[in-house]
Amino acid sequence: MSPSVLICDDSNMARKQVLRSLPPEWKDSVQVACNGAEALTILRDNSIEILFLDLTMPGIDGIGVLQGIQKLNLNCSVFVISADIQPEMQTKVKALGAKEFMRKPVQSDALLNNLQQHGLL
Amino acid sequence: MPDNKSLTTPKSTSLPAVNKWVLEQINSQITNQLNSGVLVLDTDFNIVLWNRFLQVHTDKVSDNIIGQSIFTAFPELPQRWLSRKLSSVLELNTPSFCSWQQRHHLFELPHTRPITTDSEFMAQNCTFLPIETDTGNRHICILIEDVTDACHYQMQLQKTLAEIAQISRIDGLTQIYNRKHWQDTLEQEYAKARRHDKKLSLIMLDLDHFKLLNDNYGHQGGDKVLIEVSALISALLRVEDTFGRYGGEEFAIILPETDSAGAIELAHRICRIIATTPLIYNDQGINVTVSLGVAQLSREESNYEALITRADSALYEAKLKGRNQVCSAPEVVF
Amino acid sequence: MNEFHLTEDQQDCLQELINIAMGQASDQLARYLDTFVYLKVPSIESVEAKELMITLSQQKNTLAVVSQGFFGYEGIRGESLLLYQEEDSGRIADLLGYEPDELSQDEQLIDISSILTTTFLNVFAQQIDNQLSYNAPKLLPNVQEILSEHLQQMPFTWNLALKVNINYQVTDYSFNCNMILLIPETAITNIKYVLDRVLEEF
Repeated sequence: MSPSVLICDDSNMARKQVLRSLPPEWKDSVQVACNGAEALTILRDNSIEILFLDLTMPGIDGIGVLQGIQKLNLNCSVFVISADIQPEMQTKVKALGAKEFMRKPVQSDALLNNLQQHGLL
Repeated sequence: MPDNKSLTTPKSTSLPAVNKWVLEQINSQITNQLNSGVLVLDTDFNIVLWNRFLQVHTDKVSDNIIGQSIFTAFPELPQRWLSRKLSSVLELNTPSFCSWQQRHHLFELPHTRPITTDSEFMAQNCTFLPIETDTGNRHICILIEDVTDACHYQMQLQKTLAEIAQISRIDGLTQIYNRKHWQDTLEQEYAKARRHDKKLSLIMLDLDHFKLLNDNYGHQGGDKVLIEVSALISALLRVEDTFGRYGGEEFAIILPETDSAGAIELAHRICRIIATTPLIYNDQGINVTVSLGVAQLSREESNYEALITRADSALYEAKLKGRNQVCSAPEVVF
Repeated sequence: MNEFHLTEDQQDCLQELINIAMGQASDQLARYLDTFVYLKVPSIESVEAKELMITLSQQKNTLAVVSQGFFGYEGIRGESLLLYQEEDSGRIADLLGYEPDELSQDEQLIDISSILTTTFLNVFAQQIDNQLSYNAPKLLPNVQEILSEHLQQMPFTWNLALKVNINYQVTDYSFNCNMILLIPETAITNIKYVLDRVLEEF
């Protein structure tokens, strides 16, 4: 059974980059969100197991989504994929519950590696 | 669609050994014939390479230079600032620049121009480039461009432009400011006074019976009087005051940060000096007097022209009251 | 952005490449400046030559403009303009790690401009397998005539410019500047080819 996945990024290209890295059998259970607000709505109304999250988005940004997830006490594995790669940011997202931090442009093998390490593959 | 393959960065191809050596010699000769200095440093800022340009323009010897810290070899360099700048090149892997317009020169190299310039040293534009070799070694390449000519001509140009500007501001006869410049200055002083709530006063003055003077002594006599009076008044003014020729025989003075009391005192002094100093023309003594009007900027005026009007009215009053005296515009009472 | 006739995909790709470049450049800068840079998404708009002049003349508080040319392979070239407001220029020396009396305010503006321009463009170039060289940055006093003369005398004809609004916020105080990248028509055409190439990989 493929896990339910949500990809949240305001860039279409970035979403596609994540999608093509995922195992092909997962494709049917993947949803996408273009911004933080959309993501939180989907997360609230569905049980999403894996979230790939961008940080720099207009409106509610990645940090906002992480905080939202904590508040809603959702059980979700969050992998942050971001252009903002400063060490302070990496620490911050991990402190807010993200499993891993990956820098953009995301590399397929790095992504799959991370999924494997967290027993999701 | 451009053919991408043909335009991509040439990767290191394997050249036959002979050609590579020839290329090296060519590169070396080019470096040594350049009319710019080339200085290469390692990450500790020690010199690993320099070119002929630098060898001939300094009194230093290659054997002593290579391996030395750049700051030992060139003690004139501002070490703390330059170290930070060189660090930025290494840490960020980006070029940095230093233009003669901000610093005339970094390295004290005598210039070789036949023209005389303001400095004995070559004006320089320096470029700092990060260099990485395939062994992973990092270096900084400093390119030193001689821009003494450009610097010199730029200075000349600016000087000439300033002279031209000055000429167009000066009244040819008296050599004090002409009306246009005086008025432009008043506009600025007015704005400043308003913006910072400072005092500002004007003196408008007019030579008494000037037409009669011209009739008696001719225009040349009249001109002489204008020149002498201008000189007398100029000598009484501060650096910050602006003195201009407002009309044929009318003059005006802008007194920043001065109240009416101060302006009136100065006006009296001017009045007295002119009345008591005989001017000589063709062995004749000419007695001249002036009438003066004083006005201080108040909250009433909505533009600088209004201030001129008030001072002018005071001047008119001085004429009416018999000339050779000072009148000041009445204080505005609320 | 429609004036460039970029497709939605191309626009999206360009925005993403710029975001990545900003992220990496900011990280490099943050480590060099020993501070944290709060990253905001840079907005990209196209602007016409006439429009740009009007915009520049309307910004009354503009203290100075630093202009720097860049050029790379495949006809990618242009000029970056950095605009500074009076209030942002006070502590640049501090930010750069110099003592305030070690360099004039002009030099401070030029230095930080060069750093901002080259770090950002270097990473951007890397994303598109290119490499850029730079001219020495030039400080233009905020005099309208000089600015418009400079814009008209570009070594290339340009009608459209890409305006990338970058806002750098550094830990203890806000440092703002606007970066405008002037890219001539021909270069924009080349950029489109590059964007298509990047998109093709998906």
